[in-house]
Amino acid sequence: MNKDQLLKKRYRAEKRFKFYGLVSITLAILFVIFLVNVIFSKGRAAFQRTTIAVEVNFNTEELELSSNASIEEIQDADFYDLSINSLLKLYKTEGAKQEKELLRVFSPDHDIEIKNFLIKNLDNLNKNVIVNLTTSDDIDQLHKGNYPRHLPEERRRISDFQLLIYDQLVKENKVNKVFNTFFFTNGDSRNPEVAGIGGSLFGSFFTIIITLILSFPIAIFASIYLEEFAPKNRITDFIEININNLAAVPSIVFGLLGLGILLGTFDLPRSTPLVAGITLSLMTLPRIIIPCRASLKAVPPSIREGALAVGASKVQSVMHHVVPLSIPGTLSGTIIGLAQALGETAPLILIGMVAFVVDIPATPIDPSASLPVQVYLWSEQAERGFVEKTSATIMVLLSFLIVMNFIAVYLRQKFEKKWS
Amino acid sequence: MINNKVKIKTTNLNVYYGDKQALNDVNLEIHSKEVTALIGPSGCGKSTYIRCINRMNDVIDICRVTGSIEIDGNEINKKEIDVVSLREKIGMVFQKPNPFPKSIYDNVSYGPNIHGLAENKVKMDEIVETSLKKAALWNEVKDRLNEPGTSLSGGQQQRLCIARAISVNPEVILMDEPCSALDPIATAKIEELMDELKKSYTIVIVTHSMSQAVRVSQRTGFFHLGKLIEVDTTEKIFKNPNNKMTQDYITGRFG
Repeated sequence: MNKDQLLKKRYRAEKRFKFYGLVSITLAILFVIFLVNVIFSKGRAAFQRTTIAVEVNFNTEELELSSNASIEEIQDADFYDLSINSLLKLYKTEGAKQEKELLRVFSPDHDIEIKNFLIKNLDNLNKNVIVNLTTSDDIDQLHKGNYPRHLPEERRRISDFQLLIYDQLVKENKVNKVFNTFFFTNGDSRNPEVAGIGGSLFGSFFTIIITLILSFPIAIFASIYLEEFAPKNRITDFIEININNLAAVPSIVFGLLGLGILLGTFDLPRSTPLVAGITLSLMTLPRIIIPCRASLKAVPPSIREGALAVGASKVQSVMHHVVPLSIPGTLSGTIIGLAQALGETAPLILIGMVAFVVDIPATPIDPSASLPVQVYLWSEQAERGFVEKTSATIMVLLSFLIVMNFIAVYLRQKFEKKWS
Repeated sequence: MINNKVKIKTTNLNVYYGDKQALNDVNLEIHSKEVTALIGPSGCGKSTYIRCINRMNDVIDICRVTGSIEIDGNEINKKEIDVVSLREKIGMVFQKPNPFPKSIYDNVSYGPNIHGLAENKVKMDEIVETSLKKAALWNEVKDRLNEPGTSLSGGQQQRLCIARAISVNPEVILMDEPCSALDPIATAKIEELMDELKKSYTIVIVTHSMSQAVRVSQRTGFFHLGKLIEVDTTEKIFKNPNNKMTQDYITGRFG
């Protein structure tokens, strides 16, 4: 081979290499677009809720209330009969079967919805008011165009009579789509139309706060000590190897640890953010210590020497110069570690966070769900309403993760200082 | 010109990095208020020697120092010595300028601050100003004391490091090849500065430049392979050295 051929061969190799790179990047982008597209197209609908306008007469006599009832009195009152009567006025029915089918157009908790409406609008007492009530999941899906109404009746959950009611109500302009605040404020429910991520939002929030409180200070002090003060000997080598190994341990193993020790030995309350936070701290610790140590190591030794040479003690040189310079790396490492913990499912399943919890937790020792576990729970459900809610929850979780990662990048750029 | 008061005296100084011996029985006297230059080929132990004087070798885990180092007749190579107050007395300027990534003012005020040398802001301003003036940097930076020290040019950064070293009012300044990263103009400024500084401080400078040693120092020591081969007045070393190796080195026959 002469020089010319060698040169050509080198150029060809370079072009080939660039081509491989471009292909990989294109594939990666296509996968991301595909993923986001699937989640968005499925989850978008969950942010809307179908309602039907129903006329309700808040007659104090019928409700057995005093004429200017207080909120407490209304809370205790029974709205079931009033609710049933108002709904049945919507469409003419014959027989108990048709009555039942008409009521099933609505979500089962219609009486509570009416009660809550009155509590929010107390001046409607003794008035005839239009209230928008949530439809059942099937009607919701029908209105969103996801329901196969062309199937024969025996293969549908919506009966022909219910379809008649629906078409009539649509004609009367009584069926509306509104923004689904229930999705954010309600806890979990067996009825997809009123199920929400309120409980799991709070559960995840408490969990992450506990993880942060426990793992951040421990990780910072451990990494400063190991990097700056610990003598280099066999024991510290052993610790270093173990930290690296722990970071690679499958998360479900930490779940087993939480189950065995926190729930088993210490008898902490199961399904709670407290236990979840402690378990996730154990998992996150090595994952924070490693980037913290890396950012301490990245501070040039000349800075340490400069401080020592003017007579700073070891602690002063570390605290005044090395630690401030490592803050951007430390913070972004911590946030990325917490983001991983936020998306973790397996260890939470083992400590019982998969329990069906309707109430929104008020403290970290109340049973609760968390966002990723909620995704897992709803993905097993057959109802169409839960399918879109699963994707919508993933959207919420992803947006939290993206925001956290952006904060990490922002902090790194903001606090990064150039050294000579 | 030649001062006969001994400031630093090392006797049978040996330094080991693990199994490797870096200094071998170095006996050297450094005289007060003059510039002593240490020359020799790379790896001969010059830097190791000056790092013994302010105990900077303590930072290196595998480093072991034996023998005696006396400053004004007081032994400092023993455990009981507090290195923090030792380093307050013996400042150091490094090969590569290493200002803290803080403001120019904070770079100079850091030392006095941790040693509690200024009881108030006015006193601190005074210390910063005199230190920067002594380092011949005041006129260039007096209007931008709040800008980061790292924004200065290389020569200015090195003078800032000198200002930082003298801010705590040391008795000795150790300089480890302070001009090797600088251009000739910046080097000339530092050399002029050293002439001025030697009136109040004892200076030990490690240098690879023979001409710099001739220009700035009154006394020169020649190191080779961890041994101090010869030490004498600079004039004698460069005109008529006793040792043949010294002769060969300064005339460029090896090293």
